[in-house]
Amino acid sequence: MDIAQLQAYGYFALTTVLVIGLYGYIYHLYSKKKDVDGIDYESYSDMALKDDIDDTPVSSISDEKVTREGVKEK
Amino acid sequence: MFHWLEKHPFFFAVGVFVVIAFAGLIEILPNFAQASRPVIGTAPYSTLELAGRHVYIKNSCNACHSQLVRPFKSETDRYGHYSLSGEYAYDRPFLWGSKRTGPDLMRVGNYRTTDWHENHMKNPASVVPGSIMPAYRWMFTNKADIDTAFAEQLTVAQYFSVPYNQPIPMKDGSSKVVKMGESVDKANAIALEEAKLIAADMRDQDVKDAVERGEIPEIVALIAYLNSLK
Amino acid sequence: MENRPLEYDYTIAKMFMLTTIVLGIVGMLIGVVLAFQLAFPGINLFLGEGLAEYTNFSRLRPLHTDAVIFGFTLSGVFATWYYVGQRVLKVSMAESKLLMILGKVHFWLYLAVVAAVVVSLFAGVTTSKEYAEFEWPIDIGVVLVWVIWGVGMFGLIGIRREKSLYISIWYYIATFLGIAMLYLFNNMEIPTMLATSDVGESGIGAWYHSVSMYSGTNDALVQWWYGHNAVAFGFTVPIVAMIYYFLPKESGQAIYSYKLSLLSFWGLMFVYLWAGGHHLLYSTVPDWMQTMGSIFSVILILPSWGSAINMLLTMKGEWQQVAASPLIKFMILASTFYMFSTLEGPIQAIKSVNAIAHFTDWIIGHVHDGVLGWVGFMIMAALYHMAPRVFKREIYSKSLMVAQFWIQTLGVVLYFTSMWIAGITQGMMWRAHDEFGNLAYSFIDTVTVLHPYYAIRGVGGLLYLVGFLMFAYNIYKTMSARPVEAGELQSASPMGA
Repeated sequence: MDIAQLQAYGYFALTTVLVIGLYGYIYHLYSKKKDVDGIDYESYSDMALKDDIDDTPVSSISDEKVTREGVKEK
Repeated sequence: MFHWLEKHPFFFAVGVFVVIAFAGLIEILPNFAQASRPVIGTAPYSTLELAGRHVYIKNSCNACHSQLVRPFKSETDRYGHYSLSGEYAYDRPFLWGSKRTGPDLMRVGNYRTTDWHENHMKNPASVVPGSIMPAYRWMFTNKADIDTAFAEQLTVAQYFSVPYNQPIPMKDGSSKVVKMGESVDKANAIALEEAKLIAADMRDQDVKDAVERGEIPEIVALIAYLNSLK
Repeated sequence: MENRPLEYDYTIAKMFMLTTIVLGIVGMLIGVVLAFQLAFPGINLFLGEGLAEYTNFSRLRPLHTDAVIFGFTLSGVFATWYYVGQRVLKVSMAESKLLMILGKVHFWLYLAVVAAVVVSLFAGVTTSKEYAEFEWPIDIGVVLVWVIWGVGMFGLIGIRREKSLYISIWYYIATFLGIAMLYLFNNMEIPTMLATSDVGESGIGAWYHSVSMYSGTNDALVQWWYGHNAVAFGFTVPIVAMIYYFLPKESGQAIYSYKLSLLSFWGLMFVYLWAGGHHLLYSTVPDWMQTMGSIFSVILILPSWGSAINMLLTMKGEWQQVAASPLIKFMILASTFYMFSTLEGPIQAIKSVNAIAHFTDWIIGHVHDGVLGWVGFMIMAALYHMAPRVFKREIYSKSLMVAQFWIQTLGVVLYFTSMWIAGITQGMMWRAHDEFGNLAYSFIDTVTVLHPYYAIRGVGGLLYLVGFLMFAYNIYKTMSARPVEAGELQSASPMGA
């Protein structure tokens, strides 16, 4: 197998992976999941709008589940 | 999986890197396997020509002049045969440029002479009325850096096997040897020989005197380089 | 530890704000000089015959591009990073001594590299590769600056309180990674001091000189893969990071569609890197790469417009703010220019259009509607938004901002319209043939015809520079303006008359 052939196979494989990835991602973004991990992405805008140092994080690093209910960390 | 990635900056960064490196991996790396091979008639630069190339680079001539003839009738009419990849085999760096404020110089050696360049570099508008190119009069007094040009020859010969001191096939079936000195002194002597030929066609008495004294002004090296562009 | 409430620490942000303004003035001033040198070549000697070597067009040109890219823009990127980074991660630089030290080292080393670049480019020490002119000793400095920034960035991310990363952080991370990869690969070079002659001499000639690892066509390919994407990761990605933070914050509006911003991000990351080939159409690089460059350039409209439209729609129902606030005007015009130049770019990348546009001033026009209209406006808007918050004072003068906005807008319009006409005129004249198939114009005919457009362009650039000086003055006066309370800083920035 010469380099051009390898290149072609590599290109095809990677493109396929990325296309699947992209559509999977779109599905992921637009399906609101109900499980713990489920998240409404639009709420992420608050990371910029409520960015004072004592504002509540959208999802806190210390205890994610608690803060999603709006309880302050620590 | 996606959401997890967004919370783990390290793996997120890896993901971004894979996506952005993808194009380079496919497009650029494989092409290197077929490094450009010189076409027949393409010879490496002599010490003086290389020093002239450094003068060209030092003054960013490539900011206004391209060295790339595209395959259109209007360009081949104006500048000569369109560029071939192998013609650039010894160009490190390439000097294609990105803007033609002045004309292309890929084959300027075919239609301009030493004294044309001399007059032009002193006062461009006197040779080409309406020219907006600035004069480069300091090149007539600054000394060319032959040592660095020699160091570059050694580097490309040692690391990239550029064929100095070896016969190179020319278009007419003959062969040509581009000499590289074995020491700094020898390299300077070789460059001076070549510089004398250029200076003989020049008018500026100061330049002639300098070459007579064994010094090489930048303009002489630059003209040697421009004359080699064919 | 003192017992006072934790605050964001803007020390480093302030330092980079200063260099943004100073290097912005330097870069734009050189640009204006260059513009007038093309219109009136006598200006090449503006400091006399003795200094002609250092004041002529070709020696100054790399200083202009590098001062604007690596001085003005990069400083702006760093300044906003040290501001936005803390805020959206909800962590203060003051919480980590190490990060503070890294930040300061980052700044001073950056300044040292800038100084080295200025000296070396004036002296004519250059590799000739556009936006990568620096010789290897400076390259090492650049890599150090970059690594320190990266360590500081990931350090701050490491101690964050906000678990998910805001979209702007994504773009900053991409800027860091993208430039790192591109810069390293494009600057692979061998110092000539390593070579040894046959009689054993070494260290011959200038110690700083080097030879590119790649030759000819390969070198061109790597250079424009770099050159195009340095634009991507210097002029697009971090500026998008800024607008995704500053526009919502200043207007108090949530991003129109956060999901769209994420999709556009991945789209941009994937597509941009392919497009470099459009700089090499009809050259000696393989045909399939040229075609690839062309096609991907057109596809690039999608993610670019995804971001730009997202920004415009963020203002949905709030358009009165555009009329009321000069700061929002700057940002809306910036994203409009972003849409405009990301449409213009793909058009120029179409092979048949490129045949005319390449090597002409149309390309210069394209670069400048992007940089003046999009990058410049956005960075100034970002600094205007930051100033009241880092100095805790209101912006000195709103009316000055409004005047600046219109002066600069007029400047940009004069700039790109004159360059369009110049570029297309010259491109058409180069290829014109008479009835016998001979070239219709000599080269010099195609140069002298451009004189009026070069003059108009110079005026456009001058107007932009004047506006930038007004901006610098306004920021300077802000430091002594009326102090404001924290409550006034929620969204819209306070401005004096």
